Amino acid sequence: MIRFDHVSAAYAVQTPVVRDASFTIDNGEFVAFVGTNGAGKSTTMRLCNGLLKPTAGRVLVDGVPTTELRTSDLARRVGFLFQNPDRQICCKTVREELEFGFRAQDALTDEARARVDATIERFGFDANAEPYLLNRGTRQLLALASIIVMEPDTIILDEPTTGLDFHECEKVMGAIADLHTRGKTIVMVCHDMEVVADYAERVIVMTAGEVVASGPTFEVLRQRAVLERAGLIAPQVVDVSLRLVERHPELAGTPIATANTLDEMVAAIEAYAAGAKEAAR
Amino acid sequence: MKGFLEYVPGDSLLHKMNPVAKLAVSLLIIFACFITQSFVALIAILVLDYAFAAHCKMMPQTVGLTKAVAGFSAILALIALFTVPAGAVLAPLPWGYIGTGSILAAVRIVLRLVACAIPLFLTFYVTKINDISNALVKVCHVPYRYAFVFSSTVHFIPVFMNDMSGIMEAQTARGVEFDGGFAKKVRLMVPLCVPLLVSSVRKTNSAAIAAEVRGFNLRTRASGYKEYPFAGRDVCALALACALFAASFLV
Repeated sequence: MIRFDHVSAAYAVQTPVVRDASFTIDNGEFVAFVGTNGAGKSTTMRLCNGLLKPTAGRVLVDGVPTTELRTSDLARRVGFLFQNPDRQICCKTVREELEFGFRAQDALTDEARARVDATIERFGFDANAEPYLLNRGTRQLLALASIIVMEPDTIILDEPTTGLDFHECEKVMGAIADLHTRGKTIVMVCHDMEVVADYAERVIVMTAGEVVASGPTFEVLRQRAVLERAGLIAPQVVDVSLRLVERHPELAGTPIATANTLDEMVAAIEAYAAGAKEAAR
Repeated sequence: MKGFLEYVPGDSLLHKMNPVAKLAVSLLIIFACFITQSFVALIAILVLDYAFAAHCKMMPQTVGLTKAVAGFSAILALIALFTVPAGAVLAPLPWGYIGTGSILAAVRIVLRLVACAIPLFLTFYVTKINDISNALVKVCHVPYRYAFVFSSTVHFIPVFMNDMSGIMEAQTARGVEFDGGFAKKVRLMVPLCVPLLVSSVRKTNSAAIAAEVRGFNLRTRASGYKEYPFAGRDVCALALACALFAASFLV
């Protein structure tokens, strides 16, 4: 569990990048942080695993303030996937890369090696391939795998889909969704509202370093005022649903007004069309 | 506060001087530092450096630089202490001895390196890098490609420092501890250097392609519109620096 208790944070002597943020992320949740660039999302992520210490308030990981823990200790509990995998990858082969975290913590046991083998098989990597020769999506997947193999309870993802094509994005997000179904806590910063809508259970909206909204994904994404304040736009299906209800108030109360996914929208429109056809008869 | 080697705006005399004159004065002071053997001369140059720094309101950066250079030169000073047997014997060693002269040699190294580093760094802080490279092209007739290599090298320093800090964060988040003994630090160079090398090669390659597609090869000495004439203050500064350089042979 990660708890922010009136947290403020700043880099050097500049003005705070995060101001008085308070929220709790429970075990097993999939939470997405959204907001424009400079809203304080990445800084919030750095606060979660102790890379940055708060200037005011407390960040508690499993009840322990991050100020009382070394970042390397926190690394065992909280894995962090950076936006740019090339800042993380440093070994000659995929296998060595996956073993790196264990070596850094002097914990490369037989069990660790078995976990590395299982991860290689699960992601379909070539164990002897050179990481820097892999394509961008596979490098991102390798960076993610090297976090997953350590089996932290919480995984923080800082814009994991940036620069990936659709298939690569699906692959990375599929792996993340799989982790979530296995009980891991996922905290993600993402600019792609479609990805947020598809995967996150809860959304926290940030603007100018402040948390301005927090709640179940579609409950938040349907609040136009909140999204406008944060400089965001709703996912397409939600946007279509909101616009249809605005232009045709008679649709309020129908499934169209509450459709959040493409499948729900198609089903709602088909039901509405069938009803209209029936009425015409 | 501005980043490392990043131009700090101001209207001091040093800011207003011709970039080439500033570079020449810096180089003359550096030569003087290496030529003189006198402690008094080195301390005088150090005082002059700090006077320049105070004049252009660059004291925090200069103090930071002094600490960094002193730290680095302490390693060289230590080597000198153990390998330059001179003066009255203070402690015998299997290969020689540490003497009063060894201590003086060690202190001289630290003083010399600090005194010669400050003028050059001040020049970068009070001059836009583009002005330095353009002035080198206009005044000294340095081919643009070499001036560009110089300016882009300096431009890349803060970029690589930022990259390095990002890489350190990424490795720390994986459980790497950057504190510890010397052997451990050497072992940790690999996870730091490999990503930095890869990112720097990628960045320089992109920068080269970007420069090429923007007509880098078409640029000549006449392409820059800004002129860099020498004023009276530049001539005076150069004359004083030449005098200091000449004096360094005598003291």
